[in-house]
Amino acid sequence: MIEFHGVTKTYHGVKALDDVSFTVGEGTVTGFLGPNGAGKSTAMRVLAGLARPTSGAATVLGRPYAELECPALAVGTLLDAGAQHPGRTGREVLTLGAMLLGLPRSRVGEVLELVGLSGKEAGRAVGGYSLGMRQRLGIGHALLGRPRALILDEPANGLDPQGIHWMRELLRGLAASGCAVLLSSHLLHEVEQVADHLVLIGAGRVLARGTLAELGRGRTLEQTFLELTSGADRSRA
Amino acid sequence: MTTAPRPARRIPFGVLLRVETRKLLDTRTGLVMTGLLVAAAFALVAGRALTTGPADLRVLAGTAALAPGTLLPVLGILTITGEWSHRTALTTFTLEPRRGRVLAAKLLPVLAASVAACLLGLLVAVPATALSAAVLGVEAGWRLEPGPLLGWIATALLSAASGQALGLLLLNGPAAIVIYLLNPMVWALVRGLGEPGRAVAGWLDLNTATNALMAADLDGGGIARLATAVAAWIAVPMALGVLRVLRKDVW
Repeated sequence: MIEFHGVTKTYHGVKALDDVSFTVGEGTVTGFLGPNGAGKSTAMRVLAGLARPTSGAATVLGRPYAELECPALAVGTLLDAGAQHPGRTGREVLTLGAMLLGLPRSRVGEVLELVGLSGKEAGRAVGGYSLGMRQRLGIGHALLGRPRALILDEPANGLDPQGIHWMRELLRGLAASGCAVLLSSHLLHEVEQVADHLVLIGAGRVLARGTLAELGRGRTLEQTFLELTSGADRSRA
Repeated sequence: MTTAPRPARRIPFGVLLRVETRKLLDTRTGLVMTGLLVAAAFALVAGRALTTGPADLRVLAGTAALAPGTLLPVLGILTITGEWSHRTALTTFTLEPRRGRVLAAKLLPVLAASVAACLLGLLVAVPATALSAAVLGVEAGWRLEPGPLLGWIATALLSAASGQALGLLLLNGPAAIVIYLLNPMVWALVRGLGEPGRAVAGWLDLNTATNALMAADLDGGGIARLATAVAAWIAVPMALGVLRVLRKDVW
């Protein structure tokens, strides 16, 4: 459903992504894991058609995102929960999305309920939101069009423990209904609890991929993670 | 797959237009700016009608359109640059990856509003002219010549377009607004340098070059000067800005 085919992205001579290939199948939650600066956000921007790969291709539903007729109906994206106009209300953000996607306004209320934002909160300007509320709004925005694939960049950042629990249940439910979910995180434990597949990335290269069980192989996942990323500790941050 | 694939279709341009128009007004900044613009328009026209006059439709319409003429281009700059300063371009361009369509939908409402502001200015100026004539005890001037009227509207349109071109080129709201607002002052200085300064301003200052348009007095030289200024302040920066936005990675 989501596929990276040998994606390389070079910025000023530095390879932010180096021959990245992996797939996210329908009905699975794939955790995209790596240290800060490993290339997770770059890969997700390439996938969402916001950045052009230097070589290779990323596709969703078999086509590059930007070539889908109305991509947000098929693919939900949350790339940065902080990227909001502070003077716009949460409800308005969702209303603009619903208008563009040709969805009835009632969908805005449904989504607000789904992500647990009250009517009062939705009527406030996003500038006053906590990061956790912005994440909920962003996840709601991604879900507006009932997509079959989800691309979420660090969606658990800023969520409290209840929020993380809520997101885990939500994503598992979506995967159970056939949705392909790619979510990035630099926190291993977060990903471990929700993902069934993992892609480990460091310094722009895929270091390992497979199911949780395959990657654990008797050791804790944390050992595997630290071992693999120690050689690729090239933080751009 | 649990749901059958929907027959997804491209977002109709009319919907993009509606959404981008709505985005001009659905933030605090947008609302405050629009409120200021309307309030200033009424205050200026009322003030002029009741004090100095003249009780002339054409002059008072110009006064009513003065505030929108200045502030609409600023709003036009902010609607473009805001996508980068608040990084909402991430959302905007994932909803519609065909960035050229989004840009067109952003440019058109502000251009339309600048024409509408002139027409509304005319409308407001009708009672203001009658009122002014009555209060000042003079005869009202109702003459409107089509040439200067069209020239005036075209100038407002060009002015708004030049603001948007700067916004698109720089993708930085404060810088674009400062350059846009300081432009007339800088050119006044240039013209103050004597004959060579006036010659340069005649070709490169949009305000100077549109004087002939406003007066509906465009001869061959006037057209050439206007075309040069339009190229310098609208066509070239807008083309470069559009190319930049189409190619730029959104971060």
